[in-house]
Order: sequence, then C-alpha cells, then structure tokens
Amino acid sequence: MQQMIVMDYKKLGMFLALLLLIILIAIPLFCIFFTSIYPNQTLNLLAPLRTLSESNLSEVFWHTIWLGFCVMLTTTVLAVPLAWIFAKTDLCRHNGLDIVLMIPFMTPPYIGSMGWILFMQRNGYLEQLVPAAKIVTTFFFSFGGMVAIMSLHLYPFLYLILRNIFVQISGNKEAAAIVHGGSFLYNFRRIVIPLALSGYAMGALLVFVKTIAEFGTPATFGRKIGYFVMTSEIHQYISHWPIDFGKATALASVLLSACLILWYIQSLICQRFSYPLIGGRDSFRRISVLKNGQRLFAWLYIGGLLGVSIGIPYFSILSASLMKLRGVGLAWNNITFQYYIALLTWGSNSMNALMNSLGLSIVAATISVILGTYCALLIGNSKTRLQRIIDLLSLLPNAVPGIVLVVGFILFWNSPSMPIPLYNTYGMVVLTYAVLFLPYTVQYVKTNYSQLNLSLFQAGQVCGGTPVYILRRILLPLLVPGILAGWMMTFTISIRELVASLLILPPDMETSATFIFSQFEQGNVALGMAMAVVSVGLTTILLLAVNQFHPARKQNG
Amino acid sequence: MKIRGFIKSCTLLLLIVFAGTTLAGCSPSTKTENAPAAQTQSSGKLVVYSAGPKKLAEKIQKGFEAKTGVKVEMFQGTTGKILSRMEAEKTNPVVDVVVLASLPAAQGLKNSGQTLEYKTAKNADKLISDWSDKDGNFFAYSASALGIVYNTKLVTKPPKDWSDLTNPEWQGKVTIPDPAQSGSALDFITGYLSNKGESGWQLFEQFKQNDVTLAGANQEALDPVITGAKSVVVAGVDYMTYQAKAKGEPIDMLYPSSGTVISPRPAAIMKTSKNVDNAKAFIDYLLSDEVQKMVADTYLLPGRNDIKAKDRASADQIPLLKVDWAWMNTNGNAAIKKFTQIFE
Repeated sequence: MQQMIVMDYKKLGMFLALLLLIILIAIPLFCIFFTSIYPNQTLNLLAPLRTLSESNLSEVFWHTIWLGFCVMLTTTVLAVPLAWIFAKTDLCRHNGLDIVLMIPFMTPPYIGSMGWILFMQRNGYLEQLVPAAKIVTTFFFSFGGMVAIMSLHLYPFLYLILRNIFVQISGNKEAAAIVHGGSFLYNFRRIVIPLALSGYAMGALLVFVKTIAEFGTPATFGRKIGYFVMTSEIHQYISHWPIDFGKATALASVLLSACLILWYIQSLICQRFSYPLIGGRDSFRRISVLKNGQRLFAWLYIGGLLGVSIGIPYFSILSASLMKLRGVGLAWNNITFQYYIALLTWGSNSMNALMNSLGLSIVAATISVILGTYCALLIGNSKTRLQRIIDLLSLLPNAVPGIVLVVGFILFWNSPSMPIPLYNTYGMVVLTYAVLFLPYTVQYVKTNYSQLNLSLFQAGQVCGGTPVYILRRILLPLLVPGILAGWMMTFTISIRELVASLLILPPDMETSATFIFSQFEQGNVALGMAMAVVSVGLTTILLLAVNQFHPARKQNG
Repeated sequence: MKIRGFIKSCTLLLLIVFAGTTLAGCSPSTKTENAPAAQTQSSGKLVVYSAGPKKLAEKIQKGFEAKTGVKVEMFQGTTGKILSRMEAEKTNPVVDVVVLASLPAAQGLKNSGQTLEYKTAKNADKLISDWSDKDGNFFAYSASALGIVYNTKLVTKPPKDWSDLTNPEWQGKVTIPDPAQSGSALDFITGYLSNKGESGWQLFEQFKQNDVTLAGANQEALDPVITGAKSVVVAGVDYMTYQAKAKGEPIDMLYPSSGTVISPRPAAIMKTSKNVDNAKAFIDYLLSDEVQKMVADTYLLPGRNDIKAKDRASADQIPLLKVDWAWMNTNGNAAIKKFTQIFE
C-alpha cells in the first residue's frame, strides 16, 4: 500500500518536473524552431537547411569546434594540477583561495578580453611598462591568444568540478594501491583517472559547450583577429540590422545538434565509468605532505596561474578605471578616483544597477538551485527514458547559446496568447537567469549524487529513519557541497550576465553588466571598468561570506 | 526503494516551492495587470526605445516627464539592438516611440507600414527637410557627420582625404567601424557608393589592402585611437570625437575635402502604439527648443535649421557627397554583405 503511494509520488514528481522543464525550456526553443521554418508567414520546412547551405557555414562551424576543443584541452592542463594540489596535498587547508581562484570566472568575459587587449595592444600597458615587449605583443593577437584568454577565464570552473571529484576519491583505494607497490603514476592512471573520468567528462563537456556558446571573447578579441565563430554570427543576425531570425535560428540548431551529440557521448562515458565513491565505511582522505621543493613548486604554479589569470587582466581593468585621460596612459599624475565616487553615489543609476544585479542574482540562484537539485535527484543515473529526457531538458540551456534561448523566451512569454503577463517585469529576468543557469546545479548535484553509496540510505532505513529524516540527515548534508557549488556558480554568472539582460530587461532597468556595456558604447570606458571592479569585488566578498557556512570547510580545518 | 523515499520528500518540497513561486509570481503579475488598467484611465505612460548618446536620452526622458507628467519607460541600445527587440516583440509590441541613429532603418520601418503619420508635429516645418520624412513618418531631431579622426600625439600631418589613407604610411594604423553594427558607418559606406557607383568599392578594397582594421561599433573604433593602439579612424562619428576632445583626450578630426555623409537620427511613432497622444507629445518635445539645445550641447547637429550647432562645424560647413537615400535604403544589406566579405 505504502509502496503504491510512494510510486505515485515518484510519478507525480517526474511529471511535475517534466511539465516545468517543457514550459520553461522546450517550448521557447520550439518557438525559435517554429520561427525558423515559418519565414514570411509560410511554412517552409527546408528554410533552415537552405540558410545553412547558403552561408559559408562549414568554415565557421569548424572554427567553433576547434576553438572549443583547444580551450577544453588547455583548461584541463591548467586545472588538473591545481585541483590535485588543493584536494590531495596538505595545501588543501588553504582552500580559502577557492574564492580567489573563482575571480577569473566571475569577470565578465568581454571585460577580461578587454583587459588583455589593453595590456597587449600597440602602445598598450605592457609596452608602456616594458617598451622592449613590442616583439612579443604582436604574436598575442592570434588564435593562440584567443585560446589563452578563454582558457584562463574557464579553468576555475573545471577546477571546482575536478577538486570535488578528487576529494571524494577515498584514500582507501589509493592506500591499497600503494600497499601493493603502485607508484604515483600507476596510482593516477589505474585509480584516479577511471574514478574521475565520468565527472571530468561532464566538466570538460561543459567547458567545451561554454566555449562554443561564449560570445564576449569572440565579439571583442576574435573580431580583432578575424576569427569568427557561430555565436558571433548568430549574434550578428539577431542584433544587428538587418535582423534575420531565420538565419540565426538555423545556425543555432546546428550548434544545438553538435552539443547534443557531445552530450550523448558524455552520457555514454558516464554510464560506463560511474562508481559510488562515498561509502558508509570509514573512508578517509589521503593527504600527502609536500616536501619543501614540491611545496615551492606548487606555490609557484598557483602564483603563476593567478598572476596570469587575475593579475594581468585586473592590472588593466584597475588602471583603466583610475585613468583620468586614456590618451595619456600609465602615469602617476593621471590617476583619479572620480569614477568610483560617481559610481558609488547612493541613488545614482550605477548604484541602482548594482543593487538590481545583486538582488536578481540572489533570487535567481536560489530558485535555480532548488529546481536544479530536484531535477538532479530525479535524474539519478539516467536509467529510464523519462530520466534521460529530464536530464536532456535540464542541460539544454547550457547547450544553446544564451542569446538564442532568450529570443525563444521573448517569443514565448510575449506572445499575445500568454495569460501570465511576465514579459517586461522583474520576474521575467529572474526566470531567465534561473533557467539559463539551471544546468550548473544539475551538473554539480548530479555528480555529487552519483557518487553517494546506496548503503548509506539503506543504513538509514534499517535504523528506522523515515524518508524525510533520511533526506534531512543523510542525503541533503552529503549534497550540500554540490548544492552550494551550484548556488555560487549561478550567482556568479547571473551577476555578470550580459546578453540575456540586454534583450530581456524591462525598459528603465539596468544591471551592472548592461551598465558596463553601455558605458563602453558611450565611450566611458573608465566608468565601465570601475563598475567591473566594484561588482566583481562585491561578488567576491559575498562568496567569501557564503563560504564561511560551507560545512566542508570545518572538516578540512 | 530507498530513492523513492527521497523523491517523495522532494516532490512535497517542490509542491511547496511551486506554491511559493506561484504566489511570488502572482504578486508582480497582479501589479502589471492593474497598471495598464490604471494607465488607460490617466494615460500616463510612454515606452521609448532609444539609441544613444545615453546622457542625452536620459535628459530628454527626465525633461519630458517633468513637463508632461507622463512616465517614460526607456530602453537604450544601438539601432541594431532596438530593431531586434522590436522584431522579437512583433506579435505583442509594447514600444510607442523609437529613436534611431540611422535614416535607412527608419525608412525601412516606414516602407513596411509600421510607422504612424504625424503631420502636425510642432516645429516640423523648421526641420532640415532632407533628413526627415515629408509625410511625417519620422523626424530627424539630430544628426552626426562622419570624418577622419586621429590621435594628435601620434599624427602630426593628418590625412586630407579618404584616399590618403590608402598610402603605405598609414598601413596597419587605421580602424573603420563595422557597418553591420554602426548605423552611421553604414550610412557613410552606402552614401559613398551611391555617389561613386560600383567604382566606389575600390576605396574599401584598397583600405583592406592597407590593413585597415574592422572594429565594432563607433566607440570600439574610436577607443584604440584614443589609447594610441591605432592612429586614425576612417568614417568616425564626429560628436563622440568632440566629446572626447572636450574631456582632454589627445584627439581631433577633420571632414575630407572631397565630401562626406551626414547621418540623421530619426524618431518615429509606431502604428501599434497604445499611447498615441503621449507619443505625439514626445515627438513635439524632441523638436522643441529645449531638446534641440540639449542636442547641440552633446555636440550633435540639431535637426532644426534655426538652431545653431555648438562648438563644432554646422551642417552647412561640412563638405558633403551628394547621396541617394532611397538607393542607400534598398542596397544597405547587399553593401554590408560585400563589405564584410572584403574585410573577412
């Protein structure tokens, strides 16, 4: 009898989640598809295909894929040693650095690229500091430079995923390997890699998708070096005169298909290499104590990475925000704080924009995390077809360039037949952010959840725990790292979200990102950069505060 | 079996959340439901989509609100962004008045029957007639001219004409705004072509051969010249240059002797407007002495012939190419396409 009721709850839950995801994600995307096959009020199923054959798509397509691949590779190279250091060595007690490590990711990509451009260009900050650097700087404006900028922006994201995985690989297994005479490399190859593979595949896929869906860097840096990718082409069709939704949606569908194929490959890997890692028995973390030489090397690596990924762009951003006259360049008598004072005046447009951003991001991240955790729990191991559909739908926002999904939202929520007047309101923005960044929580919680051993819950049941009790005392506490990571990620990205905000904000409402963007458009680069500094600073402080409540912190000491 | 327990609890949780969000979702929606009802009574609202400059747009907004008591909801963006937003909202338009930075775009709106005629606009008779629609579909309340902008620290002998920039001494030192993003740059390119015919393309091909860089919109083309990464903007917007110069940046500009293009900035009422009276009042306000002075203070060219430009060359002092706006309107897309091909 009870079994029956429980079954019904599960079904109801699936049904609710599915319904919600269909309304929030599938229908808006369908609106786009519909627009693409319905040009000029006549149904033409071949319209998107014709568009694709007309444009010189293949080159742009391979550009995009190649970029995604290279960035994925470089982020892996950057993130693996870092994740290892902070998960497996005694340097892990410095994990307050996590927030610092997130700064590159919190920096809006177009601001970061801008920082690099200002630093490396002719008469840029590097040449002003070291005139001899002229020889180096010209080489920077190339495909390699673009991969470097994007990797230095995205590696923290992969790092966070990898570190969580490494932390959860129980020391027992490595200890066993060592007892049997396995060397470090053998250990890494035969234990860590297989155990980490499914989680890494998810992370790497997300990095890939983030890269090919990224718009800021291609729009600023890519344009300068003439490297065009699909997002820049889509954006071109969607926001520059003449507007062509048909072309944009056709391109988007190709991008979408590419992502779906990758998603399929990734889910195959996950199914094959998924192991429960957190068991009931006394698992312990094996922390190796570094020797002095190793320690120095580790710190050099961390320092070097932070220097390049934060130091250089923020040197540019800060310098630009403090500069009285941009034409004068770096000089002590060219420093002013007037832009910060103008920015932080209470009641000013800039202050309102900042507060809007904070509020929106907190609300959106919270909604997104609740929904995402729920979906992740329903998805489980993606065994049934229904679970896979939910999985697919909840990941779609990450597989579609933000701008495409947002246009779908507008088409859907602003259609005359829509009974809920959400369009042009605060709620619309919250909804957009929450849906756009839903995949992060789903991914984090899913990874986290798939590594929990069933025996924990069985133990809970055997000891007479009710489902609610087990949820409260076993599942949720164990999921907290994933949930918190999801919240922080959603918050971090929401607060710098640009493309969606540009299109969806109600008239008369600004966020920090749109404020920065409009300052650049208006030629007020210094004020825009000052806003970037303030909003990233605020985010950092807020994340540090949230991090204080992180239960894992206490364990790690 | 075990999982089901959690799913059950989660479903309960979700139901609670659902209830919560629907409640939360209801509160703003009831507000917006009430709001239009209240507005149809007092008619105190106007939605404007406006291209920059931002400060000017904000001043106009505040001035209009103070004068009429009508609440203006303003969306700011480039011409391209405004048009794309309108396209996305096509089935359920909310905008009453659009203020654009490109004349062909406004002609496009008129030709597709989206604009509302307002022949009796106050002061419309004083508008510079070449820039606005005779039937009162759009009103160019301001304009900017395009020229050669240069960094005064790097350039001591500025080029005199467009063709000078094809000389080797300028190789790799010049930017040009992207006509796909900048309405005024497009106006220049199509204007130049409408004047020179097919042979006009030669200039742009030579630009490309001389490593002229395609930058984004106007400010993105200007910025590297201010910082010294590049030396010259070709087809740079004048008012932005004057603003930067007034701030003290090492920058100046000139209008080539062989002639350039003036890019008018039109405003239009949409046929779908639900606040037509307010929209008309807004157009009247754009053409009033008050706004025309604000326009001049921004270093733009005023749209009315009886208002003087401030601290800059006036419209009649700028050597102009004879251009064909109708040709420019119909050939804009093709020009963007070919131009992009040349520069890619």
